[in-house]
Parts: sequence; structure tokens; C-alpha cells
Amino acid sequence: MGYSFDFQSVSFGPLWEGLIVTLELTVAANIIGVVLGFPLALLIMSRFAPVRLPAMLFVEFFRCTPAIVQIVWFFYCVPMLFNVFLGSMTMGILALGLNLMAFNAEAYRAAIQAVPREQLDAGIALGLNPLQRTLYIVLPTAVRASIPVLLTNGIGIFQQTALVAIVAVQDLMYQAKTLATETYRPIETFTIVALVYFAVSFPVSQIVGYLERRRQLMMS
Amino acid sequence: MALDFSIILRFQEALLVGLWMTIKLTLICIVLGCSLGFFIGLARTSRSTILRAVSSVYVEFFRGTPVLVQLFWIFFCLPLILGVELSNLTSGVIALTLYMGAITSETFRASLKSIGPEQFDACVALGLPRRVQVTNVVLPQAVLRAIPTLLSNCVSLFKESALVSAVGMADLMFVGQNISNNTARPIEVLTVVALIYFVIAFPLTRAVTLVERRVLAKLAI
Repeated sequence: MGYSFDFQSVSFGPLWEGLIVTLELTVAANIIGVVLGFPLALLIMSRFAPVRLPAMLFVEFFRCTPAIVQIVWFFYCVPMLFNVFLGSMTMGILALGLNLMAFNAEAYRAAIQAVPREQLDAGIALGLNPLQRTLYIVLPTAVRASIPVLLTNGIGIFQQTALVAIVAVQDLMYQAKTLATETYRPIETFTIVALVYFAVSFPVSQIVGYLERRRQLMMS
Repeated sequence: MALDFSIILRFQEALLVGLWMTIKLTLICIVLGCSLGFFIGLARTSRSTILRAVSSVYVEFFRGTPVLVQLFWIFFCLPLILGVELSNLTSGVIALTLYMGAITSETFRASLKSIGPEQFDACVALGLPRRVQVTNVVLPQAVLRAIPTLLSNCVSLFKESALVSAVGMADLMFVGQNISNNTARPIEVLTVVALIYFVIAFPLTRAVTLVERRVLAKLAI
């Protein structure tokens, strides 16, 4: 092969700006997902069908359609349907945040169902009302148990942020695409960008592995 | 604004062609990806350090980067490196197979690890040779245990396949976006596209739960 590598022509300025945007998207989407995922999980587990069914539909819809379809749908359809025009960054955060919310709700649900029955009985015996039982017994236990999955979902959404490049949010992937066409250096650019994504998500996935191993040790 | 879903009927055929492309791509990559994943899973549990290191780097890299980046890399860089033109379908199949291989190898590795040491002790006690151990004891149990997770991996692959639209492959998403841009009716077209994906993926996720229960019952645990 006659390809000569030239990493010099890849300018890091735009990539750095893109990475900042990507990280902002990730953090904002994670805040929405982690905070609102819990109440959503409670709604899914509600005994009243009119509450449960819409919540389940919401979750299943986000889990069973491609993220790219959701994002494109969001960017094209929300302004037309509701006649609101938000900045592309806000739209990106909302689309990714809602997606993560659905995935996190499932994680919380599994963790809530794993809270031992006796603990709730103890709560009743102590005379705690349902809200107190949720806040002081279910919430702390379930959140702690779901941390590994929440982190995994968090990295997942970090990787999904690359999709907003398709709707022209100037994230890392978008800057990479621009740079690759401007410099005619796709190999160098996309390799560097892949390494950047990897450098962020790999340590987090190692932490998840560590947490899971520690949890297994504690269980046994 | 007035919604008019009858517009979909006019483009029915185009959408079906796109859907067929999506399904074809998914099926090819499921077959190739699962086979690749099985061998990578074996390599990751092997005793050879080199095999373990190479397969680990491959898996971690493909799980640690966005699929979109992988697709772009394979579509734009692989032809430059190899010096040959690759067709759209070939590039798409290579990219998604490598992705599927990485995620299914984790599934196979977990199911291989779940086979208890007492099984191996039993093999030794029965005097089974190594080959029989692998083909008659380890493999059937590992594959059986892997099936539910493999199914959800397939659903993930089906969803990720929509990304090939970003590199210009005429799959369901690409066709949908094209129609919506040309008719200026994104709400109707994109909603229907989303619904098509949902109608296929949702029953599959339900099937995962069913199969899981079956497998657990069969293993009696």
C-alpha cells in the first residue's frame, strides 16, 4: 500500500471543542436520565393501569427503536408538532436524555424489584408511610444496586452522542467529519477520534467491572 | 398542520425495499457476527496470553467506541488502506459483523464462565478426553445459556443497523429520510419508520424474556 500517514495535518483545536460539546451532552443527558429514570421506574411498577401503560409504552418505544431514528425524529418533528424552536444543543440533550431515561428506568426497576420484601415489611412495622418507605428504604438500596448498570448506560449514551453529528450538532464526531473532508485525511482523523472516544469510555467500563466484582464478593 | 398518513401508501414499495435491506444486513451480520463472537469468546478464555491479549484489545476497542465512528472508519479508511474499492454492502457487513462479534463474544465468555468447576471435575472422573469435554459438555451448556443474551444482542444489532444510513446505504432509515426530505412530511414518514422498527424489535425483546424462562427451566436453576 502506498499510503503515507500524516498526523500533523489534523488540527486538534476543533476536535477539542467537539469533545467539550460531546461531554456536555453526555453530562446533561445523564443528569436527566439518572434523576428522572427513578420516578419513571416507579410509574412502570404502578398498580394503576392508566399510569403504568403510558409509562411502559414510553420506555419500550425508546428501547425498541434505533437511537438515530429517535434523534432525527426529534429534530424534525418536535418543532413542527409543538411549534417550539429550541437550540440544537437543547434538542440533542432532550433526545438523548429521554432515551437514557427509558434505559435507566429499566435498570432502576430491576433494582427496586430486588429490594428484599422484609425491608418493606420492616418499614410498615415502623409505621413509615409509603412515601417515606420509598425515599428512605427503596431509593437508597435500589440506587446503590443499580450503579453499575447506570454507569454502563452512561457510557452507552456517551457513545450515542456521536449520532447528533448527523443533525449538525457540532460535537466530536461532527468536527471529525468536517476535518476529514477538509484535510483529506480520513484515516488519521477518524483513528484519533476513535481513540478519544475509547480513552473516555474504557476507564469507566473498567470501573464498572471493578464495582461488579466487589459486589459479587460482598454477596458471597 | 394537518397530518396525512396516506402519503405513506404512495411510498410503500420504496420503504419495503429499504426494510428488506435492513433485514438482509441484520441477518448476514447475525450469522457472521455470532460465529466470530464464539471464537473470540473462546480466545478470551484461552490459556495463551497472546490470543487473550489480541482478542481483549479487539473487544474493548469495539465496545469502547461509537458504532458510528467504526462505520465511518471502515467506509472511508479501509478502502484507502487496502487499496481496493469496497461496495456499500460489503463495508456495512464488515463494520456491523465486527461490532456484533465484539458484543456476542462477551455473551459467550460469560456463559463459558458460568459452567461450574464441578463439571470439569466430573469429566476428569469419567475419563473423558479433552475434545469430548469441549464438544459434549461445555459447548451445549454454554450455547444454551447464551441464547437469551444472544437474542438481545441481535435486537441491538437490528437497531444499530440504522446507522448505515449515515454513510449512504439505502436501508429503511435512509429511504425514510429521503422520502421525508422530498415530500416535506417528516412527521408522517419518520413516525412510520420508527413504528416499523418498533414492530419488529418489540416482539423480539418479549421473546428474550420467554426464552430466558425456558432456558432457566431447562437448566433447572
